[in-house]
Amino acid sequence: MAERSEPPVRAFEGIKSIEDRNTFVGLTYDKLDITASIDRVRSPKAGAVVAFVGMTRDNFEGKPVSTLEYTTYTPLALRTLSTIVTSLKSTNSGSLHSISVTHRLGIVPIGEDSIVITLSTSHRAEGWRIAEECLELVKDKVEVWKREWFVDGGVWRANRDGGKGVPVEEAEDFKEAGGVPVEYLEQEDR
Amino acid sequence: MANTFTVLYFASAHTYTGKSEDAVPGPMTVSKLFPYLEEKYPGFRKKVLSSCALSVNLDYVDLAEDAEKEIQNGDEVGIIPPVSSG
Repeated sequence: MAERSEPPVRAFEGIKSIEDRNTFVGLTYDKLDITASIDRVRSPKAGAVVAFVGMTRDNFEGKPVSTLEYTTYTPLALRTLSTIVTSLKSTNSGSLHSISVTHRLGIVPIGEDSIVITLSTSHRAEGWRIAEECLELVKDKVEVWKREWFVDGGVWRANRDGGKGVPVEEAEDFKEAGGVPVEYLEQEDR
Repeated sequence: MANTFTVLYFASAHTYTGKSEDAVPGPMTVSKLFPYLEEKYPGFRKKVLSSCALSVNLDYVDLAEDAEKEIQNGDEVGIIPPVSSG
C-alpha cells in the first residue's frame, strides 16, 4: 500500500547548479557521480581530498523502509547550499581550496547515494573537520525534505528534532479526518 | 492572477493541503497569512504551520519581527517545514 505507482514529478532534467570560484553546489534527479565530484575539487595546492557519501538506509530505527524520496524547493535550496559553501570557503580561506556538494532528488533506491560532499584541503585534518561541519550545516538548513515509506504509510522526516518528523500518527489523523491518504499524493518540486 | 500572490506547499504542507500551491488574494500582511490558511484548511496551523518557516521571494521572513510586512501580489511565498536533507 505504501508503494507508489508513479515516479515523482521532476522539476527539471540533468543538474541544477550554482558554480563560483572553487565552489559548486548542485541538485539532480540522476545518480550521483562521485568521481566527477572528486575531480571537480582537485587542486595542485591540496594534499587531501575528503569525500563524504550519504546513502539511503533500509530502516529507520529498525523499522523497514521500502522506498525513500527527496523533494525540494529548487531555487531556495540552491541558494542555501551556495551560502553554506561560500561561508566555509571564506572562514577557511587558508586551507580549503575547493568544495562541492551535490544532493539527489526524487526516489533514491535503498543503498544508493543521496548526497556527495567533496573538498580539497592543504592537509587532511582540516579536511575531515570541514566536511563534517559542511554536512551538519546542510542537514540543518537546506530546503530538501525526505519522505520514508514504510509498509503502513509514509513519513516526512525532520532532521531538527532527532528524526521524528511529521510522524505516522499525523498521517493516520489525516485519514480519519477524511483527508487524502498520504501515500497517494503526488509531490511536485519547484 | 494580478490580484493574487502564490503560496507554495512543500513536504508535510503539501500532504496536508493536497496541493502544490494556492493563489491567495493580496496584498496581505504576514501576520494574516497563517489565520487565512487555517480557515482554508482546518487544523493546518496546529498540525503543520506551527513548525514551518516562511519565505517571500526566496528570503525568509520572521513571523514575529516581520508580522506587519506586506506580501504583495505577484510575490512567491514558500511554506517551509523542518528540513531533512542528507
